[in-house]
Amino acid sequence: MMINRKVKPESEKELFFNLPEIQEVTLDNGLRIIYIQKEKLPVTRLNLMIECGSKFDQAGKKGLSNLTSMVLDEGADGLSALEISDGFDTLGSNFTVNSDDESINLKLQTLTEQLESSLNLFSKVLLKPDFRHLDFERQKRKVLTRLLQLSDEPDFTAQRILEYLVFSQSNPYAYPSLGYIEDIENLEIDDLKKYYSGKFSPSNSNLVAAGNSKFEDFIKVIQNYFNDWNSSVERTDLTYDNKFEKKKIFLFNKKDSVQSEIRIGHSSVKRNSYSFFPRLLLNAILGGQFTSRINLNLREAKGYTYGAFSNFNYFKDSAFFYVSTSVSNENTVDAINEIYSELENIRNGVSDAELEFAKSSIIKKFPSNFETYRQITGNLATKVIHSLPNSFFNSYIDNVSSVSSELIKKAAQDLILPDNAFCVIVGDKNKLEDSLKTTGMDIIEVDDKGKIL
Amino acid sequence: MKLLNLPYEKYKLNNGLEVILHKDTSLPLVSVNIWYKVGSAYEEKGKTGLAHLFEHMMFQGSENVPKEMHFRYIQEAGGTLNGSTNFDRTNYYEKLPSNSLELALWLESDRMGYFLSALTKEKLDNQKSVVANERLERYDNQPYGLAWELVLKNLYPEGHPYSWATIGYLDDIKNYTLEDVQNFFRVHYTPDNAALVIAGDIELNKTKDLIDKYFGSIIPSVQKKEPAITDFRINKNIIIEHLDNVQLDRLYLAWHTDKIYTNDDPTLDVLADILSGSKNSRLHKRLVFDEEISQDVSAFQFSGKFGGMFMIISTAKPGVSLDRINKIIFDEIETVINRGVEDKELIKTKNGIKASYIYSMQSLDNIADRLNMYNFYLNEPNKFNFDLLRYNNINNKDVADVCRKYLSSPFVELRVISNKKNK
Repeated sequence: MMINRKVKPESEKELFFNLPEIQEVTLDNGLRIIYIQKEKLPVTRLNLMIECGSKFDQAGKKGLSNLTSMVLDEGADGLSALEISDGFDTLGSNFTVNSDDESINLKLQTLTEQLESSLNLFSKVLLKPDFRHLDFERQKRKVLTRLLQLSDEPDFTAQRILEYLVFSQSNPYAYPSLGYIEDIENLEIDDLKKYYSGKFSPSNSNLVAAGNSKFEDFIKVIQNYFNDWNSSVERTDLTYDNKFEKKKIFLFNKKDSVQSEIRIGHSSVKRNSYSFFPRLLLNAILGGQFTSRINLNLREAKGYTYGAFSNFNYFKDSAFFYVSTSVSNENTVDAINEIYSELENIRNGVSDAELEFAKSSIIKKFPSNFETYRQITGNLATKVIHSLPNSFFNSYIDNVSSVSSELIKKAAQDLILPDNAFCVIVGDKNKLEDSLKTTGMDIIEVDDKGKIL
Repeated sequence: MKLLNLPYEKYKLNNGLEVILHKDTSLPLVSVNIWYKVGSAYEEKGKTGLAHLFEHMMFQGSENVPKEMHFRYIQEAGGTLNGSTNFDRTNYYEKLPSNSLELALWLESDRMGYFLSALTKEKLDNQKSVVANERLERYDNQPYGLAWELVLKNLYPEGHPYSWATIGYLDDIKNYTLEDVQNFFRVHYTPDNAALVIAGDIELNKTKDLIDKYFGSIIPSVQKKEPAITDFRINKNIIIEHLDNVQLDRLYLAWHTDKIYTNDDPTLDVLADILSGSKNSRLHKRLVFDEEISQDVSAFQFSGKFGGMFMIISTAKPGVSLDRINKIIFDEIETVINRGVEDKELIKTKNGIKASYIYSMQSLDNIADRLNMYNFYLNEPNKFNFDLLRYNNINNKDVADVCRKYLSSPFVELRVISNKKNK
């Protein structure tokens, strides 16, 4: 074959990709089930999302939702923690319980031939947890030590400080899901029992799943194990205030750091109250990808960092925008200045070439977002959290295509706010202080939770 | 298992490039995965980290691909891409919509055959700086980030190909010259030192033509030397203490074991799982669950072309001395040696390994990389079933035997101690 290496090969004819069908049913007890059949492997993956995540943690009880999730599978229906985990392990099934800002999630990945046996154990954990004192105390000590351990990790600390600062203190998303040491120390087993009986209900839960079984067969199995779940709960209303202040530097002094961990960001309007697709493309151009402006500048042009990225982090009822990177001490100020100037620049709009590139990569990548069972249940979880219609996926490509550069510019001016972006640094104060003053920004020292010292 | 029997075609181009094709049309995607048979084990003293730095340079463009455009072209086509370096090999991979296969072949062949003319000192200096920052971020500024390097340095004698970490030493990273990088390319990045896997939605004949078109004319260059190794074992325990900026002390134990795909290799995986792979595994139950003197514990067999090691790592709860943890670990090792393991433990471990094999078949990138891995170590790509069957035949006595054979030998004990004064 003849070859001209100078010329980039073009892709061949359009590909056809059929989105898998989303199937949905609500059981009599109110549990909503959303399912995608995928036949590739004899595998089923599911995630029961109970809307009782850490956003419901009251003041003084930060960490309650997480600890509840940690004790839930430590004993149920007379089975001990070890018997439960041996049960799943012997089936070759992976079962985890965790808590995030929105939900407590019970996740299962299993060979479909072991689905029933796995659900038998799963339903005991969900419906008949023992909440024994012994298990509670052990898990409490475990999370306390975990928090101590995480305080060593600069990225965890920087993220926690940023999230605390960008939201007002009445906004539940300002607080870390794992909670605070001093609050957890005061939690009692009765707090957990009360939380469980007050918050676990099929009416505030969604089960998202993907597997090789037919939908009808899957539903039959689910009904066998979840029909008896009949608790009802009261809804709690929360407030979600955003806060916008003048930009400042917040410094957590981590002595002997050889790098500065940097976060620059501000709160943002929630996903459903601003058009999603301009925002998606805007972030792809600014900092969402390897080839985005921020990474090309800080990494490929300046060599300051291993990587620098931006992101809109969407909660159900709030959001925040941030840039993250870590750089050596001597490049800290330059990196910060570069990030702020990238945030300024994008407000002037983007080039047609940038927009076409971002559209092309997002549109053509779309089919591969449905490759694995994990990706599929992840997409369904996003649909649940943000109440997306099924047409969201079917019209995704058209919606990306139709965004104009004017819309991107407007989104940048509405949503990228460098004058209000806080800069959080976790690094060695002695090595940074003098150079940070050259930014002209106020420098405020905070503790590792983000509280002003 | 039928699921793990993957049809493939394998052949060699005249220039020595090995090609492996696997057709799977379940999604309109294709994975392109190249292994170069060079990793950090092939580096020289004073030039550690060069293989990994080189991996970075491969994304900096080639004769017909300007800097940054490698990433851009793949992303523009809706693809994802990356590369990784370990002791034994360096891989490069991309997954794209299958109608863009030719783009990937153009890019991969351009940097395999036409790389040097595009290499500049400016690009090298930029990536040296990026890699130095990578090292700072992922090792020096990470809690316990230097432990791996310390274990390797003490377990293997100076000059052994596994005696330094793949990232390399910071001083070495700063000192690579343009000539180092050029030489590294000439010796290692030659078609007869590489294998190309293409897996996914492909037409076999058309794909072969494309491979021929893009890779066929690349000329092989210098032949590399294999690193010289002697079978080395430490003859007495080596105990080291390292102060770190951490809250909790952590214990690392490392023993010499056997190389990858030797007889004892899977049995050591099973032993590791029985010791620490689940909540009710032996060390987890005692250290983390019953006595609560550890926050976590893990054990694993790490094996490659030039050696193997077994490691146990455990983080102490606040105020607990590492000696207590150490004693229990050796108690449990003794128990396995003297009394073996139970049937139900073995069944649990085997079921877990089998299921995780099946789960791992979800991703095309993983399948392509496995085909290359089996071909690299076993000279046969379709070894999925063989790999899994290695575990089936292991019995209780085998586990006790490998435990005795390896874990009663001298070891390296690294104690990472908190430098916090208020302890």
